[in-house]
Parts: sequence; C-alpha cells; structure tokens
Amino acid sequence: MTKYEKGALAAVAAMVVAAGFIFLYAPTDALQGPVQRIFYLHVSSAIAAYGCFAVVLIGGIAYLWKENVVADRLARAGALVGVVFTTVTLVMGMIWAKPIWGTYWTWDARLTSTLVLWIIYAGYLMIRRLADPGRQAARFAAVVGIFGFTDVLVVHFSVTWWRTQHPGPVVINDALPPQMLVAFFVTLACTLFLAAVMVAIRYRIEVLMDQAVEKSVPAPVVTPTEAGRVR
Amino acid sequence: MTYLVAAYAFAIAVLGGYLAWSLLRVRELQRKQ
Repeated sequence: MTKYEKGALAAVAAMVVAAGFIFLYAPTDALQGPVQRIFYLHVSSAIAAYGCFAVVLIGGIAYLWKENVVADRLARAGALVGVVFTTVTLVMGMIWAKPIWGTYWTWDARLTSTLVLWIIYAGYLMIRRLADPGRQAARFAAVVGIFGFTDVLVVHFSVTWWRTQHPGPVVINDALPPQMLVAFFVTLACTLFLAAVMVAIRYRIEVLMDQAVEKSVPAPVVTPTEAGRVR
Repeated sequence: MTYLVAAYAFAIAVLGGYLAWSLLRVRELQRKQ
C-alpha cells in the first residue's frame, strides 16, 4: 500500500467519524428537522473549496514571482480539488434549498457568486487542458487563479454586503447550540484533511504527468558543428 | 428525509468517486513509468 493509499484510507476513516457526529451526535433541528444536517458538510465543503483556491492563489503568485514548477503544480492540484468541493457545496445547497425555500435555485448573491466561482476555476482547468503545456499557459493560468480568488471574497461577504435569501454566518454569530458546534468543527477538520489528501494525490498525478510529457519530447539532435560551437 | 439522503448520497458519490479515480490514476501513471 502506497503512502497515498494510506492517506486516502485515513481520510475515509475521518469522514466516517464525521458522519457519526453528524447523524448520531448532533441534535435534530427543531425548525427544519433532519434536513438541517446537510449544513455540516455543505459549509465544510465550501470552506475546503476556499482553502483549495487559496492554494491556487499562493501557487500562482509563487509561480509568477520565481517561475517555480512546484508552485504551478500545486496550483493545478488546488484548482481541480477546489472545483470538486464547490460542486458538492452547490448541489448540497440546492437539495437543502428545495424543502426550505421551495425551490432548488434562486439568483441570490451568495448562490450566484458561488456559481461564478465554479465557472472561474472550471475555466482555469480548461486553460490548463487546452493550452500547450509550458511557460505561457502556466503564466496565464496563474493570472486567472490570482484574480479568480477575488470571487472567494465576494462569495464570503455576499451575505453581509447584500440582502440575500441565503442565511448569514451562523457559526461566528454564536447561533448554534454547543452540540451542533462540536459536530460542525469535527466535520470541518475531517473535510479539510480529506481536501489536503486529495490535493497531495493530485499533486503526485501532476508530477507523473509532467514526467511523461518530458519523456515524450524527443531530445534535441546536436550535430558535430553545433557541438563544436557550444564548446 | 429524502432530501437529506439525496444530498449525502451525492456528496459521497462525488468525493468518494474522485478519491478512488485519483488513486487509480496514480497507479496507472506509475505503472507506465
């Protein structure tokens, strides 16, 4: 078993623990009933996505500054895992919205800015896939990743900047009973661990893919004349 | 209850599916090398 498989197994075990807290430890919400339990993973996934996009931001800055390949690979890994977690956040939120708001979707500032976030980083991944791998694609993607992060701030503050149907922050406003708070922080810690493991595995994939591309590029043919010139 | 089950089933499918796929991809790329 490789260290990546061990990490994945540990992350799955952590998520099983989180599920125990969500379904067995946290009390049922008096107003919303069992559907409120969506909250724990919905919010944790959103925070994990923010973290992944912060990795893209830092990786992008480091790449533009030092042209560091490691930073670029880290940014690529963060973007894909961030899109996965944003997808989970969006869809879980939509499923939660149906019984509570009576609709799956509303063009509310929080929902719309989150959808824009998903589109920005899906675009980032498309740039990486469609452009020829190299310096120019990496620089362009780094710029998208850095400016894209401004939308994370818009998503986060949308509930305070605009009047939204989406509720405002409940954790920092002390609006949760202690048992729910414990369940939330356990789920958050386990989800962040899962995200870190996913980024590490994706980073390994990026390294292996880069090595495969380097191998496939034929070595430059040096003629005796050129060799003499080099000398 | 149906919505709760649907939400978590989706999350497990996406997160679990992605994790399993990425592990398989690492294996495949390592084998090729």
